[in-house]
Amino acid sequence: MPEKSNLSRLVGLAALVTFVAGSWVGLFVVPADAAQGDVQRLMYVHVPAAWLAFLAFFVVFLMSVLYLIQRDLRWDRVAASSAEIGVVFTALTLALGSMWGKPTWGVWWTWDPRLTTTAILLAIYVGYMAIRSFADDPEKRGRWAAIVGIIGFTNVPIVYLSVIWWRTLHQPPSSPRSVSPEILWTLMLNLAAFTLIYVYLMMRRVRLAEVEGKLEERMAYHG
Amino acid sequence: MDVLRRGWAIVWKDLLIEARTKQSFNAMAFFAALVLFIFSFALGPDTVLLQRVSGGLLWVGIAFTGILSLSRTYQSEETSGGIEGLRMYPGDPRAIFLGKFIGNLVVLLAVELVLFPAAAILFQIEMWPHALELAGIALLGTIGFSIVGTFYAALTVNLRAREVMLPLLLFPALVPVLLGAVNATTAVVVGDAMQGTGIWLRLLAAFDVIFFVICVWVFPIALEE
Amino acid sequence: MTASVEAGSLAVELAGLSKRFGWNRVLRGIDLRVERGTTLALVGPNGAGKTTLLKCLATLLRPSGGEGTVCGFSLRSHPDEIRERTGLLTVRGYVYDELTAEENLRFTARMSGLRVPGATLESELERVGLARAAGQRVRTFSTGMRKRLVLAQLRIRRIELALLDEPYAGLDTEGMALVDAYVRECRDEGITVLLASHQAGEATRRAEQTALLRDGRLHFVDHDAAAATHLSARDLGVERP
Repeated sequence: MPEKSNLSRLVGLAALVTFVAGSWVGLFVVPADAAQGDVQRLMYVHVPAAWLAFLAFFVVFLMSVLYLIQRDLRWDRVAASSAEIGVVFTALTLALGSMWGKPTWGVWWTWDPRLTTTAILLAIYVGYMAIRSFADDPEKRGRWAAIVGIIGFTNVPIVYLSVIWWRTLHQPPSSPRSVSPEILWTLMLNLAAFTLIYVYLMMRRVRLAEVEGKLEERMAYHG
Repeated sequence: MDVLRRGWAIVWKDLLIEARTKQSFNAMAFFAALVLFIFSFALGPDTVLLQRVSGGLLWVGIAFTGILSLSRTYQSEETSGGIEGLRMYPGDPRAIFLGKFIGNLVVLLAVELVLFPAAAILFQIEMWPHALELAGIALLGTIGFSIVGTFYAALTVNLRAREVMLPLLLFPALVPVLLGAVNATTAVVVGDAMQGTGIWLRLLAAFDVIFFVICVWVFPIALEE
Repeated sequence: MTASVEAGSLAVELAGLSKRFGWNRVLRGIDLRVERGTTLALVGPNGAGKTTLLKCLATLLRPSGGEGTVCGFSLRSHPDEIRERTGLLTVRGYVYDELTAEENLRFTARMSGLRVPGATLESELERVGLARAAGQRVRTFSTGMRKRLVLAQLRIRRIELALLDEPYAGLDTEGMALVDAYVRECRDEGITVLLASHQAGEATRRAEQTALLRDGRLHFVDHDAAAATHLSARDLGVERP
């Protein structure tokens, strides 16, 4: 056990360092976007958050499949942890997207395909966590959650495609904006930072889930 | 195949019970018409507006009505001792999914036979010349709805808060179906270019195939105790 | 269909079978061997897990642990084959109120993969005394009539193992006689019967062996003593661990 917490401390430290570096660069070093001004800096948090939201759900999907095959509760715990972390980042993505939209386009919400898909992803996450709350039996809980996770994730690319088609039919597609290398590198840096944050949070959360699982077991056998 | 025969036995049983009690179909048809009526009431007499949003309203109406139908799906089993009764029989339990899915499909399509004309009247849209295309859209869309709906209804049937859980799980999953059906319907009714419907019909068909395979595959796991 | 059984082999063989719901351990390591053609009474207080055990044998519940074979087929890997040969009789039975007796029976036949002509359905209903009520909806049936229909459902399938859960519950003398006749028939035809009841005397009188399910564990008990008494662990000579 000591080795594990050392590793997570290391990851946490790395996450902190990259996050601070990324924030510093994003806020103060990189020049502001010519067209959008300082608001564009929100991208450095919004895009990584979105990346995490989807990565986390992909992990939920993987773990769900693994659980259904092997019926090992460890996979279910990882899935549940990833969902918890993912839902936070999904909400963050939406909030940031909204915050960015107001000064840029004058509206709190746009039906941008990626934002819309993220909103639906949030609904899928909520459904996933909700169905977990209805089962006391860990095996049943894992099974139901895994099913919802698999179906939910399969739906995400389909939703994305359909929303894109929906928008392009009503609007001409936006021309791709070229991105300067400095912006790209800052983005990469923040992406790395957020990924490390995710890994760190996952390590802590899964450990916690293991302890919770043992506690559940003990309480049940005593009762 | 044995699965098909047993699935069909379930369809027959459910439709027979439905035909005898009749309450559900009548209530659903009436509810559906009422929903459409309230929509047109709320939106006012602007005919052009109504025509443009008619596709959306129609499919929202179908979705709400469909949810009613879904919660009923396993109700008939509950009064007769639960879905265990069906699980006890030999053979692939997927027959249960097939049977319930087709049963739901048939009932919902029957309600749509009432709904579409009602929408034509309330929203003042010309449906008859496009009857065939609309039938195709209705079929593909309702199939998509029934596949995922029947599946999630089975999953949530024993939950305490199933009336909330079913829509919560179902509606995000139905986004592609709704988008596809609404846009295709609107394109047909408002008279957009034909390519408009083509892409949506392909989306609906792809969705139907993908989720049919997944739901049939995973169904026994959903039924486990 | 693989021929899995030799003469005299076991209808049920369980080794350490356990079932828990969440953290509630209902069955804790059940060992059981039942020879083909015997009638076993399964007694125990309400909530002891008799229904759970029967449902596990009927493959309605997945065991949480342990191994078992029913009619020669493994519970874990061949549940389908087990379901083909096993029939479960529950208290209420699985019948649809809005269908007639004949329609219910036809449904059972179809779902069991049997092609049963109308004449056979009629004769089966006649055997349980429901010939005249064949066209009536089950909604109008009394408890006794429902039980007859459920027995007909069981009979129409070719089962090797009959699992009867509280078959005498709520029945009058005539109804009980009907169940007795069925149990006797099973014995004559070599069908294994597991009879679960919370009233020891009632079950053991009709059986050849008795097992007591208590605290999730199974104990074989002295059959004659069980037949003569009401349920009591001390009386039956089973000590609390």
